[in-house]
Amino acid sequence: MTSSYDATAAMEIVNASAPGAACVDDGVLFLDPERLVEAVRTLRDAEASDLVFLSNLTAVDHELHFELVYHLQSLDHNHILQVKARVADREDPSLPSLTGVYHGAHLQEREVYDLFGIRFEGHPDLRRMFLWDGFPGYPLRKDFLQMPGQVRAGLPGFPHESEENAWPVPGSVPQRPMHPNDPQPEGELVVAEPDGESEESS
Amino acid sequence: MTMSDDTRLAMQGTIEALTSGDGSEPVVVNLGPQHPSTHGVFRLKVTLDGEIVQDAEMRIGYLHRSMEKLAEERTYTQNIPFTDRIDYLAAMSNNLAYCLAAEELLGVEVPPRANAIRVMFAELQRVASHAMANGTFINDCGAWHTPLFHMFRDRERVLDMFEMTCGARLTTNYMRIGGVAFDLPDELLPTLEQFLADMPENIANYEALLLENEILHARARGIGVISPEMAINSSLSGPVLRATGVPWDLRKANPYCGYEDYEFDVPVGEQGDCFDRFLVRMAEVKESLKILRQVVDTLPDGPWLADVPLHARPDPGESYARVESPRGELGFYLVSDGGPAPYRFHCRPPSLINLTALKEMSIGGTLADAIVTLGSIDIVVGEIDR
Repeated sequence: MTSSYDATAAMEIVNASAPGAACVDDGVLFLDPERLVEAVRTLRDAEASDLVFLSNLTAVDHELHFELVYHLQSLDHNHILQVKARVADREDPSLPSLTGVYHGAHLQEREVYDLFGIRFEGHPDLRRMFLWDGFPGYPLRKDFLQMPGQVRAGLPGFPHESEENAWPVPGSVPQRPMHPNDPQPEGELVVAEPDGESEESS
Repeated sequence: MTMSDDTRLAMQGTIEALTSGDGSEPVVVNLGPQHPSTHGVFRLKVTLDGEIVQDAEMRIGYLHRSMEKLAEERTYTQNIPFTDRIDYLAAMSNNLAYCLAAEELLGVEVPPRANAIRVMFAELQRVASHAMANGTFINDCGAWHTPLFHMFRDRERVLDMFEMTCGARLTTNYMRIGGVAFDLPDELLPTLEQFLADMPENIANYEALLLENEILHARARGIGVISPEMAINSSLSGPVLRATGVPWDLRKANPYCGYEDYEFDVPVGEQGDCFDRFLVRMAEVKESLKILRQVVDTLPDGPWLADVPLHARPDPGESYARVESPRGELGFYLVSDGGPAPYRFHCRPPSLINLTALKEMSIGGTLADAIVTLGSIDIVVGEIDR
């Protein structure tokens, strides 16, 4: 059974060679983005941790910051460690690339760049992967809205929306409850009729 | 047929450019996106010096459906059909990996019968998927469709069993959070028994047909070689990693659904070339049949679905669950903010990550070898692009 590698032990390994580069918060190891490469290389090469296999690399948009999530695996000791790094800059987020430590980060970092717009400094071939150059916005960011007319407080509209190609009125698409058993929104539901008139339903 | 002076001059210029210097200039060839040997809408842009590959660059995204974004607006149960369409040749394995991640988030206990059924269908899916992988690989090596259709005969029987259980053959949508959607139908076990009885002879036939085949050896031995160190550093997994001799199989290393109760071996290769990948897949089919035999013999009775609310709202947190899919390590990383839909839904796609080393495997070989190498990695473009 794959065990979870103790985050505190990993922090001690990192801080022995790069003091202050790692800290543990609520059982999760956070690394300083500035010294990410050095810290991860230490974790890969140290005998006790031996995290030679980059299992997964992805990012999460927490609206105030981006969180990079790495899952590092040791094949010999059969343990896995989750490592995180935070980037606060939303305008031009960037982070050192791990391609020098793990070749397997190559395509995964390109995917994160494509869908989140996080640049990886030192990546040999950082281009968009699924989407074309010039695609407006980065889809997996929370401020990239899925549907035209979708409205979230404090966020800009759908990227393709423009003056001449605008959808009727933002917010006129009624918010449909997911299931009758789900909590219904406050007040009565208004369903738009095709002819433009609206009708009240229970 | 006459040619205008302009055309003749242009052609002469081209010929001179091609024959100047060391006698040749690199030629760029686009393989795909519509090409039978790219196994889907996948484009490989190769730079050739004569017939030798100097550079290989892949262009993907033709099948990008933005599933990770769509999943953020749907409930945990509504996301299960998406996972079918990620790797459509191993829908059961994808269902399973996603359900394991959601169960970890929700803290659901799965009944023993559901676990046994899950193992049964995951292994049947492996048999079907490896039949596809090996059949198309042999096709790429030049055996035009005969072995492929022999192997498809077995795959067809597996798909029939899927159909009688859940009504679908390819996008099964069979697993649920907390178990499986339906119990086994009465006719399934006799069909499976017959399948298990017939398969050893079929596999012996394939081995007699293929393993000593001189053309297959010439096309696949020593082609697309990768070292174990490089394979681990490139995050390769599944048969591609095991062909290099690394016995890393999540069913052994991190057993899920009660795999620790079944006896099976992890076949490994020696040289890490295309032929070893083929051999590993052939051997894995035999191991899957061994597991299926044990599952049928020890199938427990009882409920097949735990009591999980349809629109469950897990506590804020995160989970990362992995299974050994036919293509390698398939993981789902879910983040919950306490709402009915995942805050973040990420799939670790083995097909995409196994392509990391494609360039290194192809450079220095011929163009025909690059096709064989791509076939031996066994990609599914739905999983690459998602």
